[in-house]
Amino acid sequence: MALIEIRDLVKEYDGRQVLAGVNLDLCEGDLKVVMGPSGCGKTTLLRCLNRLVDPTSGSIRVRGEEVTRPGVDVRALRQSIGFVFQQFALYRHLTVLDNVTLGLRKLRGMGPAQAHEKAAYELSRLDMAAHHDKYPAQISGGQKQRVASARALAMDPTVIVFDEPTSALDPIMSREVASMIERLNADRVTMLCVTHDLQLARHLPDRIVYLEQGRVRAEGSFADLAQDCPDAQVRTFFQHAGATA
Amino acid sequence: MSFLEILAALGRGVGNTALVTLACATTGMAVGLAIASLRRTGPRALTPLLDAYVYVFRGVPLLVLLFLVYFGLPSLGLKVPPLLAMVLSLGLIAGAYLAEVFRGALDLVDPSEILAAKAMGMRPIQIFTLLELPQMLRFALPGIINEFTTILKYSPFAYTVGIPEITKEAMTLAATTLRGLEIYLAVGVLYFALYRLFLLGLHRVERHFRIPGIVPP
Repeated sequence: MALIEIRDLVKEYDGRQVLAGVNLDLCEGDLKVVMGPSGCGKTTLLRCLNRLVDPTSGSIRVRGEEVTRPGVDVRALRQSIGFVFQQFALYRHLTVLDNVTLGLRKLRGMGPAQAHEKAAYELSRLDMAAHHDKYPAQISGGQKQRVASARALAMDPTVIVFDEPTSALDPIMSREVASMIERLNADRVTMLCVTHDLQLARHLPDRIVYLEQGRVRAEGSFADLAQDCPDAQVRTFFQHAGATA
Repeated sequence: MSFLEILAALGRGVGNTALVTLACATTGMAVGLAIASLRRTGPRALTPLLDAYVYVFRGVPLLVLLFLVYFGLPSLGLKVPPLLAMVLSLGLIAGAYLAEVFRGALDLVDPSEILAAKAMGMRPIQIFTLLELPQMLRFALPGIINEFTTILKYSPFAYTVGIPEITKEAMTLAATTLRGLEIYLAVGVLYFALYRLFLLGLHRVERHFRIPGIVPP
């Protein structure tokens, strides 16, 4: 059974369908990359997953439990899904360490020592231990993205979702983030990554989901989609991507 | 009577000026923070009431409100002591102004941080107390300093309800010595000294809580 099952997911804003019946499975340890043109519903899909956005219809199951039904504990759901944002969204008034311990202390109820130990482990896992006492303004964009990832990982989530993790970064920092995602994937962390970044998509080993007009139009590896996809438009998109990446 | 002797004589009122200023500033902070937090985390139905409070208290002249509280309420059987009358007028007006300062400062908190906190599963009250409030206070510091200075400058109204602060002492002294020029010059010097002392303390607080990347506008 898939860890996350998305079925016929629809989201409408003022009668306009942003998601038009998305079906997607994510198994334990999977890394899936969601790509597609701007406005195809990628970010909305991620936000439906932890109910930052409520879907109009369809269902999402996490470990078999439907999380789109009324009465579900939304806060508990959100704690089980780590979210890494495009603009990092680090808390500017807290140090790197405090950014990671905050959720552990206030949401998981850990004591300061236990939270510190857990945060230090996650930061060292992403090579950020040396920067633990710095403030977000004192570290680079790539480092901010690693802190944001450590903050999400520290909560031991079922899945981590990345929303355009490299779009605010230069190519060198983007490579840093790509290698971090690869490392997490090797550690069998389950991840769903929305991106426009062709370099990132090309270098991540698992499957790519191509979303267009709110529907999954194709799914496969980068090479599959570029060479063997029966849909010519998708093939062209990824061949162009392959040429430019 | 030398200038220093005048200063010493007026010094008797400094304690009361400081007391009125601190009492009104504390009340203003408490009211301003309460309004800011209720606007953010309270029921929506309260918002028009809070807005009305801010609108009314920013529009009423201090002296009118002070006289209403001190001379008006006794006719309803409510006798208000002078310091409390100052708190209920100057303190509440300062609260309305500070509520607006805090509203502006809250708008400077990055919405993506709030979204990230929501995505982590934090409650609205946690988001406010753990993320918005600490940043808001830092952003609001110039506005807070400004408002506290205004409170200090409005504290002489306390003499109208019989609190023997600096201006009241000066009026008494001027009436008996007829040396208004030196006396009111000394009053100015004392207020300026108090203002500098206040500023020094607040800037020390500002330095203590300063964080790289969080710069008030």
